[in-house]
Amino acid sequence: MANKGWDEFEIGAMLRSFDGVSNDIATTQQEDRNYSQSNSFVASVADWRIEKPIFAKDFCIDCQFCWIYCPDMSIIARDKKMIGVDMDHCKGCGICVEVCPTNPKSLLMFPEQADEEAELAKWPAKVKETK
Amino acid sequence: MSEMKKIKNLKEFSTSADRFEGANLLCPGCAHSIIVREVLNATNDDLVLSASTGCLEVCTAVYPYTSWDASWIHIGFENGSTAVAGAEAMHKALKNKGRLKQPDRNPKFVSFAGDGASYDIGFQWISGCMERGHNIMHVVLDNEVYANTGGQRSSSTPIGSSSTTAPAGRVSYGEKKNKKDMVSIMASHNIPYAAQVAPNKWKDMVKKIQHGFSVDGPVFINAVSPCTTEWKFDPKDTMMITDLATDSLVFPLYEIIDGHELNITYRPKNVVPVEEYLAAQGRFKHLFKDQYKYLIKEWQERVDANWSYLNRREEARV
Repeated sequence: MANKGWDEFEIGAMLRSFDGVSNDIATTQQEDRNYSQSNSFVASVADWRIEKPIFAKDFCIDCQFCWIYCPDMSIIARDKKMIGVDMDHCKGCGICVEVCPTNPKSLLMFPEQADEEAELAKWPAKVKETK
Repeated sequence: MSEMKKIKNLKEFSTSADRFEGANLLCPGCAHSIIVREVLNATNDDLVLSASTGCLEVCTAVYPYTSWDASWIHIGFENGSTAVAGAEAMHKALKNKGRLKQPDRNPKFVSFAGDGASYDIGFQWISGCMERGHNIMHVVLDNEVYANTGGQRSSSTPIGSSSTTAPAGRVSYGEKKNKKDMVSIMASHNIPYAAQVAPNKWKDMVKKIQHGFSVDGPVFINAVSPCTTEWKFDPKDTMMITDLATDSLVFPLYEIIDGHELNITYRPKNVVPVEEYLAAQGRFKHLFKDQYKYLIKEWQERVDANWSYLNRREEARV
């Protein structure tokens, strides 16, 4: 690299998202895809997080607001059900918690080091609306 | 493959398999990827995509990674739309010659660009694509500033906003020129479809995108994309800011068909004062000093005037 002149660098690069033939990606869920090593799916941004979302299944009504508004494709929804958070790709922005309509919220933000089981055990109770 | 994907409700929509991958380097809470997901998930057809230089491009194609699960190209700042138009022209030519390997597939051609690459730098290229009538869709991720390079003003930056090249301070209240009405400019090319969308109204957005895919000819989509870094709000508030933008009518949602048939697609039940929209963002915080309070009043008047203008246009079908 050090001895290359300005006009000797490659002028472009092509990356393949998948290994092998990949037809009908639009109908193939992530777990069935053959990701290549140059797809950012294999990378992780988990170290960006200061706070992480924890998902309490019991209160979820599967409205999918968190799925549609997640900017990082980190809400895993299969068969119209919300099944969890993809912790490799979640950046901890907290949008999912803001848009969650249930009472109490089925997603809440906790510090990254918080223990999931312990937090689920002391999940806040339903808040009565005061008028 | 070519029939339209059926999306009746959010549960049905959530069965889509995303073709935009995580671990891209967009800021936490960035609305860009929400818009991109809603556009890509609106169809099951193959996609040919491009991105002009901007946040979306630099963050989703950091060598050696790509975040796109479809054909995607980046060339320059200005010619993302032209690259896609070229691919579309080639596809059409090969189809006419019967040389396509899979002629039953109907790829959709979409170019993404920020407001800098659409309103300023790529303007004549987009105008050319619209005029030549390519069967493409151009989606603007309008965050009203050159966010990628550090928050310089663009011709989409609204009055009173503080940006790094038009900062608010002792003598100035920041940007002094009003935002360019890009949707009207593009509709004036007499293109079949031009629309303004917002990621929080996903159903309206998906409907517009699907209509855009179904028409034959160039389509222009302007999507509001709140920027946590340059608009200066907390990442978790992205959807709240978008709600304020649509409900205060700062970003009215409408469509223009064939350059003359304007339809307003979303009428908020409770219109929020513009003041609330401005107060939620750090870039407007100097407007709440006493000497600049008159600007908030002017903002409200401008937004009201624009809303009544849109209503009159809708009624008159012009």
